[in-house]
Amino acid sequence: MDRKELEAKIIELVTISYKKAPGEVTLETSFKNDLGGASVQMVALVSEIENELDAMVALQDAAACETVADLVDAVENEL
Amino acid sequence: MSVLDPIYDRAKANPQKVAFPEAANEKMMQAAYEAAKDGYIKAVLVGNAEELKALAAERGYDASVFEFVDINDEAYTAKLVADYIASPETSLKKEKGLRRRIADPLYYAMAMQAVGAADVTFAGIDNTTGDVINAGMVMIGIKPNISTPSSIGLCYIPNWTGGENGLLAIGDSAVCTNPNPEQLADIAISACDTVRDLLQWEPRCAMVCYSTLGSGSGDLIDKVLEALKIAQEKRPDLAIDGEFQFDAAVKPEVAAKKVKRESKVAGKANVVIWPDLNVGNIGVKLIQTFGHADAYGPMLQGFNKIVCDCSRGAPVSEIKGNIIISAVRAAAMKG
Repeated sequence: MDRKELEAKIIELVTISYKKAPGEVTLETSFKNDLGGASVQMVALVSEIENELDAMVALQDAAACETVADLVDAVENEL
Repeated sequence: MSVLDPIYDRAKANPQKVAFPEAANEKMMQAAYEAAKDGYIKAVLVGNAEELKALAAERGYDASVFEFVDINDEAYTAKLVADYIASPETSLKKEKGLRRRIADPLYYAMAMQAVGAADVTFAGIDNTTGDVINAGMVMIGIKPNISTPSSIGLCYIPNWTGGENGLLAIGDSAVCTNPNPEQLADIAISACDTVRDLLQWEPRCAMVCYSTLGSGSGDLIDKVLEALKIAQEKRPDLAIDGEFQFDAAVKPEVAAKKVKRESKVAGKANVVIWPDLNVGNIGVKLIQTFGHADAYGPMLQGFNKIVCDCSRGAPVSEIKGNIIISAVRAAAMKG
């Protein structure tokens, strides 16, 4: 999976986990300011990343990501 | 008679299976042994079974008091993985990822709990509170309609007749740093459910800040008011009221002067919810220092099943008490 595909997949998973409309989430989307930073959705997101991409990102590492792009970096490191 | 005696009696009447993923730790094994030997729980030690058996023998414990689960037992693990993935309440659905997680005994024990092979997971002596909460969120999950894990503590204040016969539940003094209104509402709701399950109280829950019914104004109060509205709408069955100053919440004579409307809570709260962790941390230390209170907890709440954490510096007697409290909460939650 190349970087572009990974970015698209992570955006899709964030959109599902945070129950957003398609197109609403971008690489610049901030977890804290745009998505509310709720920990429950972050857990769902980490589980989805593990299920879909076979990459284990620790919850605390995912929670430390400011933007979706930061999360893509964290997942890329685990692939 | 200790305030915990009724809880101990309930534990003994219905011993729950408690999984210990940190049983190699000497204090943890001793607390597990004493709680099981006295009939309060059934202790399940999770880890390298041979190593744990050797440690138990070395420490002079009767191994028949324990059940051992070996995380390297492939037959047991294969069934655990299949059951966990099949459970509708779990979120990890891929075997490879799940096996990666449960290589850690903390996650293994919680997987057992998630599928009903244990009633409680008790940890926190080697793992940090954050580790336990994160594992609980991933493996056990947060209750539907609850937005955050949180905690309450239980204070017994000698020579005080307020609260519930001198006992006061307070939250959150340990977990949720700066809750937003929705999270603050959920802390109050979880606290009410926790005291109902553990202590069989009818909760009278006060949401406190520096204002009583509009005596002050500002952002800090608006947050509490919004949280109160959310909590009352979500759980109209619970007596959650505010906004009150602390004295108006727990002192009838102050409530009589400051609360000029009907309230099931004002002046007689048995549960107090702080607006944030600054207040919570300072509040519990004030109660301990000047009220000479015995404090129990923190008890984690908001999870689908009981997740427990103990202080790393806690003595064996305190760990044993927290194990028994967690077992009673688990039994109550099962109904």
